[in-house]
Amino acid sequence: MTTSVSPRTPAPRTSALQTNGFDAGPSAPGPIPFSRLVRVEWSKATDTRSARWLLALVGLGTVGMMLVPVLAPSTFDQTYTSYLAVASIAQVTLLPVVAILMLTGEWSQRSIITTFTQEPRRIRVLNAKLAAALMLGSGAALFGGLVTAAGLALAEASGRALEANLSVGHITGYLLYLLLNVLGGVAVGALVQNSAGAIAAYFALNGAFALLGTVSTLIADWIDTATTWNWVLDNDWSGHVPQILVSIVLWVAIPLAAGAVRTVRRDVG
Amino acid sequence: MITTTALTKSYKHTPVVRDVSLHCEPGTITGFLGANGAGKSTTLKMIAGLARPDRGTSTVDGRPFVELPNPTRVVGMLLDASAMHPGRSGRATLTIAARMAGVRTGRVEHLLDLVGIADAADKRVGTYSLGMRQRLGIAQALIGDPWALILDEPANGLDPDGIAWMRTLLRDFADHGGTVLLSSHLLHEVQATADHLVIISGGAVVAAGRLDDLLASSTILVRSPDPGALAAALQAAQIDYVAGPGDALTVDICGGRVTTEVLAGVARDHQVLLSELRQSETNGLEQLFFSLTAAPAATAQEVNA
Repeated sequence: MTTSVSPRTPAPRTSALQTNGFDAGPSAPGPIPFSRLVRVEWSKATDTRSARWLLALVGLGTVGMMLVPVLAPSTFDQTYTSYLAVASIAQVTLLPVVAILMLTGEWSQRSIITTFTQEPRRIRVLNAKLAAALMLGSGAALFGGLVTAAGLALAEASGRALEANLSVGHITGYLLYLLLNVLGGVAVGALVQNSAGAIAAYFALNGAFALLGTVSTLIADWIDTATTWNWVLDNDWSGHVPQILVSIVLWVAIPLAAGAVRTVRRDVG
Repeated sequence: MITTTALTKSYKHTPVVRDVSLHCEPGTITGFLGANGAGKSTTLKMIAGLARPDRGTSTVDGRPFVELPNPTRVVGMLLDASAMHPGRSGRATLTIAARMAGVRTGRVEHLLDLVGIADAADKRVGTYSLGMRQRLGIAQALIGDPWALILDEPANGLDPDGIAWMRTLLRDFADHGGTVLLSSHLLHEVQATADHLVIISGGAVVAAGRLDDLLASSTILVRSPDPGALAAALQAAQIDYVAGPGDALTVDICGGRVTTEVLAGVARDHQVLLSELRQSETNGLEQLFFSLTAAPAATAQEVNA
């Protein structure tokens, strides 16, 4: 079990001593490029068994929901846009969880200690996690588009006539809708920095405001993302831009900014 | 070089670290010794930029840690071997560290081999023993080919073989000009590994210096066939002594002011015959450690004086 160290002595790079073929590669390193941080964060979000199960669940959920309008046509509008909306249902439920775990996982596992000693500019790590989450959200949108196309193809193959009402605006709206929900998860995760707590807070707050929205149109139209961000999904911007922006400020900008401050200031370990 | 100046930190008004100043030179292993809760980990975390000091500064390679562009290439850290994702394999864990540091991933295989966990490299870290995690953590610290190492309780969980292996590795690292700062609550561990020692108790440094100096006896035993004449001579030379053991006298070295040479001179001047003159038996680091940490407030003054 014990390996002799003499042939491969780790030698300090700055010394004049030879490194015995044990060097780490290019020396005189500059700052870590942001692209590298993003790639590493992407790996961390996708390379564990639990992460893959969760992503598989997102995929299965997306496919499973698509079977509903395909197999039970009477329950859904047989239009391209309503199929695309169906693709988003499972995604916006689970993608925020994925995003939360991308932000909180290292705090809960405490491997954040290693990450911050490798890149002490913590805001860059936070930004890299944010970027990786957005990449994941975009990938999910692409996947959702493919599943929608498959669902539509199946429906048309069964002899149904579907209304081809899909515009670039709708596709953009779908992508933005997913990314907004991912950002909502990122923001809560960045602020709470604990997996269980962040997931609980996310669903409790969303549920609470959805509930309040049923008794107050003011809350529904300005705070409840189930209303405001659905306008984005439906490509229904006219007259809704202020409401959408306000809910973005409340659910993304403020918690993310507070999370950034907390990330930078917090004592780790 | 690793330097701290008067690092001080409180948690909720309880002082955890008080005015801790360290100075670790290239080519040396500094043991940071203290009981659990003495403030070792907090000090190391402040050096690593993980905890914010209330006062004081620390530098690695002449710069604050958080200003190092790619710290992994300068200083390897092992602060908590249990702080790893249990679902990732040892190889994957090390590969992530390698990619962060921007080193060739071939180095991952070298290090897995070096720390002796190549056979378990594809097993998940969650299945590792603490000793294996320590080994993986040491590999992680070495990944960037750094010239300094900061290790918090690296011997924890290692079997005797593993501890011997780690000592050799750290000695090798220091002999090649590396700087090592390692903490431990185990006296014999530090005694066997370090050549410089900083003892911390209650958040404050109570002793610091070369291990040899700290281990050196602080008293000299002097014996004469005529104890009365010897005592008179010492009194005349204003050197404090206590009687014993036996008919010998024991003299405090007073921080190095009094040496065997000085005492021989006193004996000659007063024409007292000496039958024995030597350093007292050393009590070892253990006694030093316990004497320093048992009554920190009072002893700290004496040691620092």
